[in-house]
Amino acid sequence: MNSETQRALSTTVGRRSFLKMAAIAGAFGATSSFAGENVTRAATEEEVKNPFPGSKKVKTICTSCSVGCGVIAEVQNGVWVRQEVAQDHPISLGGHCCKGADMIDMVRSEVRLKYPMVKENGQWKRLSWDDALNRIANKLKELKSKDGADAVQFLGSAKMSNEQAYYFRKFAAFFGTNNTDHQARI
Amino acid sequence: MTNSLGDIQKSKAIIIFGANPAVNHPVGFQHFLKAQELNNSKLIVIDPRFTKTAAKADLYAQIRPGTDIPFMYGMLNIIFKNGWEDKEYVDARVFGMDKIREEAAKWTPEVVADVTGVPADTLIQITTLYAKNRPGTLIWAMGLTQHTIGTSNTRMAPILQLALGNMGRAGGGTNILRGHDNVQGATDMGCLADSLPGYYGLAAGSWKYFAKSWGVDYDYLVKQFKDASWMEKNGFSLARWWAGVQNVKSDEKIENAGTPLKALLVFGNGITSVAQQAKIKEGLDNLDMLVLADPFVNEAAILTDKKDNVFILPAATQFETSGLVVATNRSAQWRYKVVEPMYESKPDQEIMFELAKRLGFYDQYTKGMLMQETKDGKLETIPGKTNFTWPEDATNEIARIIKTIGLTGWTAERVKKHTDNWHMFDEVSGAGMGPMKGEFYGLPWPCWTKTHGGSPNLYDTSIPVSEGGMGFRNNFGLEKDGVNLLAEKGSFPKGSKIETGYPEITKENIEKVLGITLSEEEKAACGANWKVDNSGILVQKCMEAGVCPYGNAKARAIVWNFPDHIPMHREPLHSPRTDLVAKYPAYPDKANHFRVMTKYISVQSAQDYAKEFPINMVTGRLVTMNGAGIENRASKYIAALTPEMFCHIHPDLALKHGIKNGTMMWVHSPEGTKIKVKAKYSYSVLPDMVFMPFHFAGYFQGTDRTGNFPAGTKPYASGESVNTVTNYGYDIITQIPETKGGLCRIEKA
Repeated sequence: MNSETQRALSTTVGRRSFLKMAAIAGAFGATSSFAGENVTRAATEEEVKNPFPGSKKVKTICTSCSVGCGVIAEVQNGVWVRQEVAQDHPISLGGHCCKGADMIDMVRSEVRLKYPMVKENGQWKRLSWDDALNRIANKLKELKSKDGADAVQFLGSAKMSNEQAYYFRKFAAFFGTNNTDHQARI
Repeated sequence: MTNSLGDIQKSKAIIIFGANPAVNHPVGFQHFLKAQELNNSKLIVIDPRFTKTAAKADLYAQIRPGTDIPFMYGMLNIIFKNGWEDKEYVDARVFGMDKIREEAAKWTPEVVADVTGVPADTLIQITTLYAKNRPGTLIWAMGLTQHTIGTSNTRMAPILQLALGNMGRAGGGTNILRGHDNVQGATDMGCLADSLPGYYGLAAGSWKYFAKSWGVDYDYLVKQFKDASWMEKNGFSLARWWAGVQNVKSDEKIENAGTPLKALLVFGNGITSVAQQAKIKEGLDNLDMLVLADPFVNEAAILTDKKDNVFILPAATQFETSGLVVATNRSAQWRYKVVEPMYESKPDQEIMFELAKRLGFYDQYTKGMLMQETKDGKLETIPGKTNFTWPEDATNEIARIIKTIGLTGWTAERVKKHTDNWHMFDEVSGAGMGPMKGEFYGLPWPCWTKTHGGSPNLYDTSIPVSEGGMGFRNNFGLEKDGVNLLAEKGSFPKGSKIETGYPEITKENIEKVLGITLSEEEKAACGANWKVDNSGILVQKCMEAGVCPYGNAKARAIVWNFPDHIPMHREPLHSPRTDLVAKYPAYPDKANHFRVMTKYISVQSAQDYAKEFPINMVTGRLVTMNGAGIENRASKYIAALTPEMFCHIHPDLALKHGIKNGTMMWVHSPEGTKIKVKAKYSYSVLPDMVFMPFHFAGYFQGTDRTGNFPAGTKPYASGESVNTVTNYGYDIITQIPETKGGLCRIEKA
C-alpha cells in the first residue's frame, strides 16, 4: 500500500490537525451566514427516527466463510446504505467478524470491475458484453471442433450459490468435458 | 461436518487438529467458548503453530507438520491399552477395527514422540483428558487435509472417534470447518472433476440418470464429448490443470483426450491461492484464451505475461443475486439479493446462459428447470411452463434430482421459510419452535422428503429416521472376506421396523427387507433404487418403516480400494526428518491422476532436501481475509488492518540469519522459486518453522506486478503469494496440494 493510501486510511487525528480542522470549520461558519438563515431545514419526524427514510431491511447471509452468519442489509432507493448484525440468528447470535462486518464495503468497493475488458497487444481495452461473449464463444466453438472439448478447462467457485455451482457443472457437461473443478478437493 | 456448530456446545471435550477457528471462523468459535464456559468442556489443540485457538486450550501439542496419523495412532495405543474404547459400539457398528488395533500397538508414546515431536507425557495427558470426557467432538480443517496423505488423515480422525463411540452422538462427531461460504454446497453440486452433482460419480449409469433428469438423450451428451469413455474419466483438477496446458515444460505424462489445454475459464476462483504459482504462471502464459469472471480482477490476470485474449468479465457479487447456500453443517440458507448488480456486472448464471445461447445448447441446458416428476415415476415438462424463474426453478430442479444426499426436501419455498424465520430455532440443537416445530434450522441434509425436518447429526441411531436419525451407509457390499458389513443386531435407528443391519433399499429388495408388498402400480412407478427413483415411493416406504433408504451398515476402518487399506504414516515429500523417510516412504508415483502423472516417491527420494532447506513452512489464514484475499484487499478498511505480506518467524531463527523484526527476508523453496516478505517476530512458531498467510498476490519472486492492473482496479494491498514457494506434493486420492508440510530456506534480503 502506498503512503498516500496509508495517510487516507489513518484513523488517528493529531491534536495539531484537529485544531486546524476546527479553524477551517470556524471560518466556514463565519462566512456561510450570507446564505441565509434557513439552509438547514427541520428534520421530519421520520428522519429523526431513521436517517434513511423508506429504507427496507433485507435478511441475507454473509459470503465470507462457511459459518453462515446472518446479515441485515438496509437498502434505500436501491443503494445498500447500512449493515447490521443479526441478533436473532441461531448460528451467529449477533456476531460478525471484521470480514463479515465489511460485506457492505466489499459490494461498494471502488476498485470493482465496472465493465468487460480484454487484453490486446498487452493493453487493457473496454468492450461491450456482446463483443466479449461473442469472441469467447467463437473461440470455444473453434477449440471444440478442432481439438475437442477437452482443450478447455473450467474452474468454478465455492463462492457460488448451489444453483450457480450446479449450473456451472452442467455447463461443462453440455460443453463436453470433465475438465471442471473448484476449490474443495477434499 | 457430521454435527453442527451449536451441537459443539453439548461436547464434554473438543479436540482440534489443524484448524484455527478463533481466527478463521471467529463467529462460529463462540459456540466452542460457550461449550467451555457453560458445559465445562475441555479444549485440546494439536497444531504446529501456537494459534489463537491454542491460546484458549486446556492442553496443547505442538506437532511436527504432517504427523497427525502417528499422533492419533498414539492416542489409540493408549486407549486400547487401557480398555477405554467403546467395545459394544465398535462390535456393532465398525468393520476392521482389529487391524487398527494392530497398527496402533506399534505407536507407543515414545515412538510417537520421536516422529511427531510431541513429548510422550503430553500425548498421555491429552488422550486421558479426551477419552474420559465424552461425548467428544473432533474438529479439523485444511491443516489436516492439505498433505500427500490428506485422505488418510481424514480417515484416521473418524476411526479415533469410532473407537471412542463418539460418532453419531450429540456432542460428538467429526466436525470439519469448511473454508468458503459455500464449499459444502458447491461440492454437493459436483463442481468437481470426478463427479456429477450429488456425488453420483461419472459412471455411464449416472450420466444416463442425469440425461433423463435434464430432459435430453444420453446420446446427445455423448456427442458433446470426444467419446463415451471420456465422460467416465476424471478431468483435470484445480491443483494441476496447468500441467496440461500446451508448451508447458514437464516430464509428467498427460492423458487428456489427445489434446493439451488451450483455454481456461475461471468463475470466482482466486487461483493465486493454489500451490505452484510459477507453474500456474507458465500455464496461463501458454493459453490461447483466458477468461476470468469475478467482481474484482482475478489476480491470474496480473500474474500472467500473456499479451492477448485475456478477458475479464465483471461478475456480480453474491449480494446482487439470490440463491441457496449451505453452511459448514449441511444446512441450507437463502441468500436474498440486497441490491441490483452494480456497474455493468452480471450474475454468474447470466454469463453462463449467454455463452450457452451462443454455443447452441441453451434450450437443452435449461430444460431441467421446466420439468417435474409425475406420480407414476415419469418426468414431464410442467404443463404450460415455457419460462423459468431463477433461482427458484433451479433450486427445485436440484431437489428433484439429487437423492444421494437427501436433497428432496430442499425446495426454494421451504429454505426461504427457514431463513425468514431464523429467530424461531434453538442455537444449540437447531430445533424449530412455534410454526417451525419439527424441523431443524436449514433442514440439514439428508432431508429425505418434502416434509422431513432435516438431520442435525449424521449417523445418530438414538432418534428415528423421520427426526433425522440413521445408521452408517451401506455402500460397499454386504460382506467382506466373510465378515458382515451390515450393522449387528440391536444397532438401528430408534423406532425402526427392522432391528438389525440392512442393505440400501432397491426396487428388487424393498419388499423382502421391509416386509411389505408393493402394488402393481407402485412397482411400475419405482426406479431401480432409492437414488434414481423419480416416484419417491421407495423413500416414502422407508420413512413409514422408520428405515434409512441408504441402509444400516458398519463404518469401514479398512478401505480395501485405497492404496493404504488402513491409514499409514508417510513422511511429507519434503521431510525435515530424512532419517524417517526410509521407514515411512511416500507412495509410488501415480500415472493418470486427474489426467496427469503425479510424483511421490521419485520426488521424495530425489535428494536430501533438509540439508539445504532445513525449515518447515506452514501456510494459513488471517482473520482479516479469506481465500486469495482480493475481496478483502479491495476494501480500504480491511486492507488497513493487514496492509502487507509477512512471515512469522521465531526471533532465535531470525537472529541466526541476521534478520531484524520488520525487515525484508527471502524465502526459497526446493523448486527453485523465492519470495521477498517482511519478517515479523513471533513466538507462535518454533525456531525450525516459519508461517505465512496465503491471501496475498500481485508480487512475484520479488517483482511488483501491480502495474498490470487495469486502471482503477488495483486493490489497496498487494504482496507476494506464499504459493510461489509452497512445495510440490499432492494427495494420492483427491490431489489437494501439500501446502501444510513443506520446507524452505531463508536469508536476509
